[in-house]
Amino acid sequence: MSVLKKTFHINKKDFIHAGEASIKIKNLLKSLNTDPKLIRRVAVCGYEGEMNVVMHGGEGFLNIQINTGKILLNISDDGPGIEDIERAMEKGFSTALDKYREMGFGAGMGLPNMKENSDHFTIESEKNRGTRVGMVFFR
Amino acid sequence: MKQHSSYVYFDEAVCTGCAFSVKACPTRAIRVRNGRPLIMDGKCIGCGECIRVCPTGAMKAVTSGSEPLQKDRISVALVSPVLYSQFFGVPPGDVLQALRQMGFCHAVDMSYFLEMFQCAAEEFIVRNRKDEKFPWPLISPVCPVVVRLIALQFPSLLSHILPIMRPVALMAREVNRQLIRKYGKEESVTLYYINPCPTRMDADRIAFHHERPYIDKTLGINEVYADLTRELKKIRKPAKPDMLDYGPTENSLIWGLSGGEILDMHLDRTLAVSGLKETIAYLEKIEMGLFQDIEYIEFRTCPEGCVGGTLIAIDKYLAKNTIKKASRKCGFKRRVSADNIHRLYEKGWFSAKSSLAKTACLFSIQEEPLSIEELMEIDNILERIHGMDCSACGAPDCRTFAEDVVRGEASLDDCVVLRARGKSAEKI
Ligand SMILES: Nc1ncnc2c1ncn2[C@@H]1O[C@H](COP(=O)(O)OP(=O)(O)O)[C@@H](O)[C@H]1O
Ligand code: SF4
Ligand code: SF4
Ligand SMILES: [Mg+2]
Repeated sequence: MSVLKKTFHINKKDFIHAGEASIKIKNLLKSLNTDPKLIRRVAVCGYEGEMNVVMHGGEGFLNIQINTGKILLNISDDGPGIEDIERAMEKGFSTALDKYREMGFGAGMGLPNMKENSDHFTIESEKNRGTRVGMVFFR
Repeated sequence: MKQHSSYVYFDEAVCTGCAFSVKACPTRAIRVRNGRPLIMDGKCIGCGECIRVCPTGAMKAVTSGSEPLQKDRISVALVSPVLYSQFFGVPPGDVLQALRQMGFCHAVDMSYFLEMFQCAAEEFIVRNRKDEKFPWPLISPVCPVVVRLIALQFPSLLSHILPIMRPVALMAREVNRQLIRKYGKEESVTLYYINPCPTRMDADRIAFHHERPYIDKTLGINEVYADLTRELKKIRKPAKPDMLDYGPTENSLIWGLSGGEILDMHLDRTLAVSGLKETIAYLEKIEMGLFQDIEYIEFRTCPEGCVGGTLIAIDKYLAKNTIKKASRKCGFKRRVSADNIHRLYEKGWFSAKSSLAKTACLFSIQEEPLSIEELMEIDNILERIHGMDCSACGAPDCRTFAEDVVRGEASLDDCVVLRARGKSAEKI
């Protein structure tokens, strides 16, 4: 079975271009005639993931694999990592700096939304060891 | 592929076969083949971008044309308020009178219906704002290009379009009712819509929200401008009263500018976005879950709003100045009564009985979806070309060219880079 794989680089602290990888993914899914509701879920997860990398993480990658049955979305970075993952997953928990809150980010809903919008969600992180978020969507 | 779409066509005599329009088209609907542009009708949303960028004026809008009004028919002009912005210091009433002098039996102002639309939109939002599951932000249904863009490229956002009939549809329905009452049968009446964009009223395409296609013909503002200017010089006063007089006011002029629709809406969390690129960027973001704290977004794909439409007669910044002057006079007092709106709303008078599925179907790309293998093949071709999006092949960029090749609509030989390097050669 063929698998379409794509990797996008996410620049450290690059707020201007964050989200572009997710737009490219959306376009791929649209040309595959994917259900709009699923496209929406993948797009929300991709965007939140990209934002977390530029806001809290470091240099990162967004990786997608699409086959006829499912979509795998992996977002990883080599940033400071997360000490208390359970807390980070709480709705409304955020360590975003004030300057980011002023930009309208840091509502603390990113990780919970990613979990809610994916069919399977994993997060793996340790202090100073970067962060890896993995999501699966069934088509 | 044809040489015209429902909204635009090109004039072969002046076309040089360049790639300006090909690159500018937001839906990648144009290709140059054998030196002539071809337009994929199913993908054209009528945004007019190709008309704006064409250096020789070869791209033109499809309208009903400026053939003379038929004497044996009752011609009625429905007037977009953008028309008033073309005449500095001229009151809307005079513009309507000049249209009557041109031969229209009735000329109808839109202000009243614009107000009704605003009230109904507020009512809808206030009633639903507590519902968090609602598809926020709602998107204005007013600009037809935005609706088409969403149907074609952002189908997941169709449910965000405010399900209230557009002002022009409210107006056309009401005028039609009045005309039948006065003249009896419908057949002897021709409704013209004088408007700033190439939204040819082919019944299929405007049936959005089940609005009935009451309008028979459309005229561009630029097509009536010269005649109107002449008539305005010899305006006859006092004018004979028009039974379809809804009391034109300066209030409506502001609708010609980006932000005019929401300016007087009694809502706090609204945005106005204008321009095609900005509109697309915002739709991308809404699709990724942003702006859920905003209640309503007014989009206009033309620069500065409808004064930047492709069928406008005078420069958009001059028109803006005219609007500024007129707006100082108006004060934005509403005439429609809240109680009346409330009653009509309850009766379902405004509700667009929209079938999202039908809308999606009407606009959907008449093109087969690609398979995963085909997408991989596209990537392969792209790697071999390693090009610079030069458009010498007639496609807007290398990726679209590769897609055309995979679809069997173009040949690898059309790529100048591959030709120069020899098709089988290694990539540089
Ligand atoms: N890639 C990451 N690297 C480091 N910390 C992260 C990362 N992603 C999330 N976090 C931590 O988890 C918290 C919650 O994330 P999230 O739910 O997306 O909310 P927000 O981004 O609004 O703060 C963040 O404030 C941050 O402390
Ligand atoms: S009107 Fe817009 S969508 Fe249609 S061909 Fe021109 S640029 Fe493309
Ligand atoms: S912005 Fe106005 S003039 Fe331009 S396409 Fe939309 S409705 Fe027409
Ligand atoms: Mg976040």
